[in-house]
Amino acid sequence: MSSSQGVVTSAERHHAHHFESGLAEFEACKQAMWIFLVTEVLFFSGMFVLYAVLRVFYPQMMHDAHHLLDWKMGALNTVILICSSLTMALAVSAAQKGEKDNIVKYIWLTFFFSCGFLIVKFFEYSHKIHEGILPGAMWHFEELKAAKAPLFFSVYFVMTGIHGLHVIIGMGVMLWLIKRAKRNEFGPEYFTPVEMTGLYWHFVDLVWIYLFPLLYLVS
Amino acid sequence: MSNHNNNNSHHGKGGHHEHHILSTPMALKVWGALICLTFITVAVAQVDLGALNFTVAMLVATIKASIVCIFFMGLKYDHKENTVIFTTSVIFVAIFMILTFGDLLTRGDVYVKDGKIIPDTFTSGAVVKSKFNKPWVSTPELIAHGKEQFQTQCVTCHGAEGKGNGVAAAGLNPKPRNFTVTDGWKQGRKPSQIFNTLTKGLGGMPSFGSAPSDDRWGLVHYVRTLGAHASETDTPADLQKVGIDPTKEDGGGGGEKVIPVDLAIDQMASGAAEAPAAKPVKGKK
Repeated sequence: MSSSQGVVTSAERHHAHHFESGLAEFEACKQAMWIFLVTEVLFFSGMFVLYAVLRVFYPQMMHDAHHLLDWKMGALNTVILICSSLTMALAVSAAQKGEKDNIVKYIWLTFFFSCGFLIVKFFEYSHKIHEGILPGAMWHFEELKAAKAPLFFSVYFVMTGIHGLHVIIGMGVMLWLIKRAKRNEFGPEYFTPVEMTGLYWHFVDLVWIYLFPLLYLVS
Repeated sequence: MSNHNNNNSHHGKGGHHEHHILSTPMALKVWGALICLTFITVAVAQVDLGALNFTVAMLVATIKASIVCIFFMGLKYDHKENTVIFTTSVIFVAIFMILTFGDLLTRGDVYVKDGKIIPDTFTSGAVVKSKFNKPWVSTPELIAHGKEQFQTQCVTCHGAEGKGNGVAAAGLNPKPRNFTVTDGWKQGRKPSQIFNTLTKGLGGMPSFGSAPSDDRWGLVHYVRTLGAHASETDTPADLQKVGIDPTKEDGGGGGEKVIPVDLAIDQMASGAAEAPAAKPVKGKK
């Protein structure tokens, strides 16, 4: 039933037997993914509420502290992630059409953009660490006198850090998808993993769409 | 290549459901819209619109998020259930925010006074007159003051007798300092050295630098009464290390003169200091 390497191509694959059809299986997976994304929204919301509380009670400090962030790097990262969402969407479309080379190409591009995102973050973080702009008790940046500024940076590092972790996880999943795509595992009959990864990746972009103005821009 | 299982029995929803494939031109249009909206976000942020800046930024972000959900994530072409599921999460975030602020903003006079949030004046602080003259020199009043502070702030970790066996100490490694013995004090037992440890923190010991220096000196002198530490005394050089000039009446400004407003308010309420233009806050301990 399978090809020579023991790999099941999309054409050969049969849906899991407890579903009536491949479509039912796909729809169930998709809904489950959306439910997972709900948990992700709530997960990030804890940090967003923390941000909101700090903003409401220490508006001056938050304003002063956020100037230590470089909005241009934040904007660059926003553009990078939007491009990565585009290439991810194109990868999903390619999978739906069974265009193997395009699937691989677009996922590589998404991966490449993700690397770009992480590189920008690396420069941001290393600059902060160098200046002593660190969360909580590790703060030793003399130039900013706002007494609670470390709080802003606690929020900054935790939110962008956890977001960054999601990016890294997504990148790992992309590599797995590339491997599978090369083995013809995706086509019109079956492209679920690509679609699911797409949903996850767009969610990662969504979080950044809010993080960017809240952390870098709002005064 | 067949398209999909074309039977209508997949889940009983009306009609059959084709996989919608997002075309490349459409994907590019969505990408273009997102990039434009990003430019708009950045451009608007350069202009001072006051409170409107935040609203506009969030509005634009929500439009971008909606576009991503509708087109890239395919909610437009999908069953309404998934939209409902996702929207519900947003509703729950709203509930989270509303309940949190509903609590914080209605806690009597703690955070809100006369309908306004008590302003964040940490950067400027409130000028507070110290109650103690030359607090780096031990006096019975300072020790009593320190003992009060110790009982509210330190007992949890250091224990009621300062043996390092407080309730919270069970989970700490290394254990909090045992003040009744002479060994183990990593930074020394001189008043200035204990003051330094209190101010900056050390390992698991948090920094109490934002507490008024009177409190810290009081604690220093009290803690030293818990064991045989009287022989360890400060030279002028030691005092200078913590910013005190012993030849000056007020220590040369090395002591804290500016403290956060809510601490000043606390002190007012407990009668420990006088702060200008601050009134006692009801509802605080």
